[in-house]
Amino acid sequence: MKVSVQQYVKKLYSSVAGKSEKEAQKELKNFVALLGRNRSFNKADEIIRVFNDLWNKENKEVVATLVSARALMVSTKEILTDYLKERTGAKKITLHEAIDKKLIGGFVLKYDSKVLDGSLKTYLDQLKVVLEG
Amino acid sequence: MSSTKDFIIEQLKSEISAYKADISEKSVGKVLRVSDGIALVSGLEEAMMSEILTFKTEKGNVSGVALNLEEDQVGAIILGDCTAIKEGDEVHSTKRILEVPVGEAIIGRVLNPLGEPLDGKGKVETNKFYPIEKIAPGVITRASVKEPVQTGIKAIDAMIPIGRGQRELIIGDRQLGKTAIAIDTIINQKGQNMKCIYVAIGQKESKVAGIVAKLTEAGAMEYTTIVLAGASTSASLLYIAPYSGCAMAEYFLDKGEDVLIIYDDLSKHAVSYREISLLLRRPPGREAYPGDVFYLHSRLLERACKLNKEYGGGSITALPIIETQAGDLSAYIPTNVISITDGQIFLEPDLFYKGNRPAVNAGLSVSRVGSSAQIKAMKKVAGKMRLEAAQYRELAAFSQFGSDLDADTKKKLDRGQRLYEIFKQDQYQPLSVEKQVLTYYALINSYMDNVPVDKVRQFEEGLYKYADLHSDLLQSIATKKEIDAELEEQIKTSILDYKTTVEYLIK
Repeated sequence: MKVSVQQYVKKLYSSVAGKSEKEAQKELKNFVALLGRNRSFNKADEIIRVFNDLWNKENKEVVATLVSARALMVSTKEILTDYLKERTGAKKITLHEAIDKKLIGGFVLKYDSKVLDGSLKTYLDQLKVVLEG
Repeated sequence: MSSTKDFIIEQLKSEISAYKADISEKSVGKVLRVSDGIALVSGLEEAMMSEILTFKTEKGNVSGVALNLEEDQVGAIILGDCTAIKEGDEVHSTKRILEVPVGEAIIGRVLNPLGEPLDGKGKVETNKFYPIEKIAPGVITRASVKEPVQTGIKAIDAMIPIGRGQRELIIGDRQLGKTAIAIDTIINQKGQNMKCIYVAIGQKESKVAGIVAKLTEAGAMEYTTIVLAGASTSASLLYIAPYSGCAMAEYFLDKGEDVLIIYDDLSKHAVSYREISLLLRRPPGREAYPGDVFYLHSRLLERACKLNKEYGGGSITALPIIETQAGDLSAYIPTNVISITDGQIFLEPDLFYKGNRPAVNAGLSVSRVGSSAQIKAMKKVAGKMRLEAAQYRELAAFSQFGSDLDADTKKKLDRGQRLYEIFKQDQYQPLSVEKQVLTYYALINSYMDNVPVDKVRQFEEGLYKYADLHSDLLQSIATKKEIDAELEEQIKTSILDYKTTVEYLIK
């Protein structure tokens, strides 16, 4: 029988959820043995990715990427974190930060499959379209 | 002068400062896989069916359309350069359904299925857009078909009348003159209050160039738009071509006008949809077409309609074309489309090679709307024409064996021979309905019985010339639209008068 990535991840999650690390390790061993028996190691990358998403969703955690032209002030970051909490109802926000000079100014916030684009570059691009239009 | 300049600069400044870029949240996805004009995109959870997606590539933006909405991915067809898209490229949703420009500005143009010009005459100046997919008008908005579309082709106008709002299939093998019928019909719409849209799906561009030249020469481009998805365009554009043509037609429909739309041809359309479906991994069915190939054509042809007075009274008449392989009418797509349309014009190779062109088979061709879409005069002269033509072909086949025929059979054969002579018509020479009525009147009232069969066409030509000289006759047929006693007398005397000038009659 063919087992899909989704099915693997669901099983894995239900077997490890709410367990201590030691117990979880035992479950993981079994899980890897199952993968080996089903010759499904090629799905490992996909499983890790989907598991990550599922874990975040179930535990109301949001991983967001914040790209800005230069380092942002702590207060600005707080505003953005609050915004994310309000939008997604998440309890925990993990913010990965990055600097990209090409944005000129402002920031780009990415989470799940959403983008909040407040960069000067996009602003100028849009202005260009409006003026040309 | 400088004050105006200052004013403009001030305005520009205030416009720029007042301009607010919209920084609302956008739904984005990533390209997982691209192949053959198809992209699989992750994310985009809020994408709508047939929504426009923008692929942000290194070479600029490319648009696509969402077709498969799955649990965690979206299958999209790419409408632009699919080689520019790479794995991992960002995809934005636009919250807009695919739409095409419509309006008076599209008339006389050659456009691609997205409404972009292909004729080098510059941008299409319009600010109106219609979605390419629309649910067909409902029962309450419709009226029955009763006004005729004059195709200008004698065999069709007499035997298989087409009404405004009807869907009449033109079906036959390759090279039998299917497109010729459609083009002649467009040419004959001059002055008939009809807009025409010719949708070329997977046609050779050289053929379409020829058609455009011919239509321009005949002055038909003044009311015609050509939507071209050539043989070299991708399957995704071929797939949307008829829908965008129909959206353009619907603009005129909403204005209460009559539109004739020709889909040339729907078998290639089905093939392109099959290609897309297989690439999107939808399960194949009969002849490898997907399960919804019937709906593909039924939802398109259902948009042809005649609206009632309260809804503007406009109409869309659809002439879909289907190319059969070796006359096989029972293949999947032909049977589907035959069952959807209100009748079909079947072209036959035997007739074609015998020189009966247009090669319309009288027995297999039907129009379900029928004579309610004929003017009264035509109804009177052409009433039993189809039956007679079909009977003649059977009799002719039968009479090859025996030599002794009774008088009645012989009379039928003679009439049939002359009838088939009259059905012969050259390409690009549509004939007005008045002249058709005149000829048929002469035939069914035995005025042609003493014209030799090989002279029938000459006789006919002469009759038209005579009628043109005495134009009041044609005029009164055109205005009265029915043959009353007075007009009948007039027609009779004219024909008899003309016959005195003819030398080749059988004594």
